[in-house]
Amino acid sequence: MTEATRLTIETIDTVLEQVIEREADTVDLRGARFVDPHALLLLALLVLECDEAGRPLRVDWPTAPAVRRWMTAMGLFAEIGAAASSPPPRDASSALQPITAIGCEAGIGRIVEGFHHRLADRYPLTESSRRTLTAMMIELFQNIPHHSNATGRIADPHGISAMQDYEDSIFLAIADKGVGLRGSLRLRPGYEGISDAQALDRILREGLSRFSDAGRGGELKRIVGVVRSWDGAFALRSGSALLYFDEHGGDIYDVPAFPGVQLAVRLPLRRFGADG
Amino acid sequence: MHVEEFRIAQFGSRLGTRWEGERARERLESLVRSLPEEGQVRLSLHGLEVLSTSFADELVGKAYQRVVDGEFGDRTMVLETPSRELAEGVDVKLAQRRLAMLCLRDERWELIGLDTPALSETLARILDKGQTTTRELAEELGLQMNACVNRVARLAELRLVRRRKIGMKGPQDIFEIHSILEA
Repeated sequence: MTEATRLTIETIDTVLEQVIEREADTVDLRGARFVDPHALLLLALLVLECDEAGRPLRVDWPTAPAVRRWMTAMGLFAEIGAAASSPPPRDASSALQPITAIGCEAGIGRIVEGFHHRLADRYPLTESSRRTLTAMMIELFQNIPHHSNATGRIADPHGISAMQDYEDSIFLAIADKGVGLRGSLRLRPGYEGISDAQALDRILREGLSRFSDAGRGGELKRIVGVVRSWDGAFALRSGSALLYFDEHGGDIYDVPAFPGVQLAVRLPLRRFGADG
Repeated sequence: MHVEEFRIAQFGSRLGTRWEGERARERLESLVRSLPEEGQVRLSLHGLEVLSTSFADELVGKAYQRVVDGEFGDRTMVLETPSRELAEGVDVKLAQRRLAMLCLRDERWELIGLDTPALSETLARILDKGQTTTRELAEELGLQMNACVNRVARLAELRLVRRRKIGMKGPQDIFEIHSILEA
């Protein structure tokens, strides 16, 4: 059971804690009045992970009609292969970019174009902000084919992404349940014993990559720099470590261990300005 | 000097992934190979909206690494961009690879990637003159001959100038140095 009324970057780990650490087989989200894209993707992956582990999770979905409509429009129920009991009519207008599968690298250009058009249709972005956001999406999306199955031992890392706009911000979430940052870095000689928190720290602070080629790595570090300079919020969760910061500061936190990498970027809308 | 333009926008206006960059690099390297000795590729960013750092590294960083390593003989590569912002990804990745490239914008040049005041100062003098010698350069920059030779050697290693040995003064080689930009 959970009493959270807001399922967000800040609260979703309480749900994971119940399921992963306390082995709850039911999650009660009926009282939820708001769900952000990061929590939405983590919920989807949690349900799929439990299914694959042979202990299906029962979720009592939010009863608030607006929340249910949004979750449906975002494609959550289709994603987890669940028929939400009496699904409400799809309200596509509320969802900026529904859950989208990120698979092979060859398809990423087309997916980024789709995200770009969704955003451009709704906002008169400046040339500069459009460039920055598009480049950011390219880098973040391609991390899934590059790293989520770096060991070659994951049947399906299940890379997904979604985007939502709010009155004051744009929220991009990307998630997979692959090998995680630690699993990827451990492939590099000399880093076999690295922990989740160390992997996260070194990737974000030093631009470390599993590849020894000097040109590889540094993309996440640069994205963190952009988000900071735009007064945005950033969450990167991998294994049992979470880095979170917003305009007030941040840190690396311990969280319940979950496979893969889940990343969220929230950018203030004012930073996007208007053309002209 | 034979100069060929390579427009990166031929692959799309918003680029892109490493996979896309790798495919583009095959075309770029094929063009470099087809040039006569001392030929030059002008990599043009005109027509692009977005150039990601990954694409920049896979196309420009890796190909330029091979140029600097001497895999394409005396052929050189120069970047042309309509804006500094578009060249940012190339700049970042060349610096990461400890490489430097001449970047042209609005008929001016700048060094992108690895840059130091000493390299820029020496390069500026060579590009202004078009052709010079280490002795002339040392006098004009007020440098000891050894220091000047070292700077020129570094610029030549980075394929930012061409140099030819024209003699010796005592134990010191005297070089003729040429700009890689057409007058």
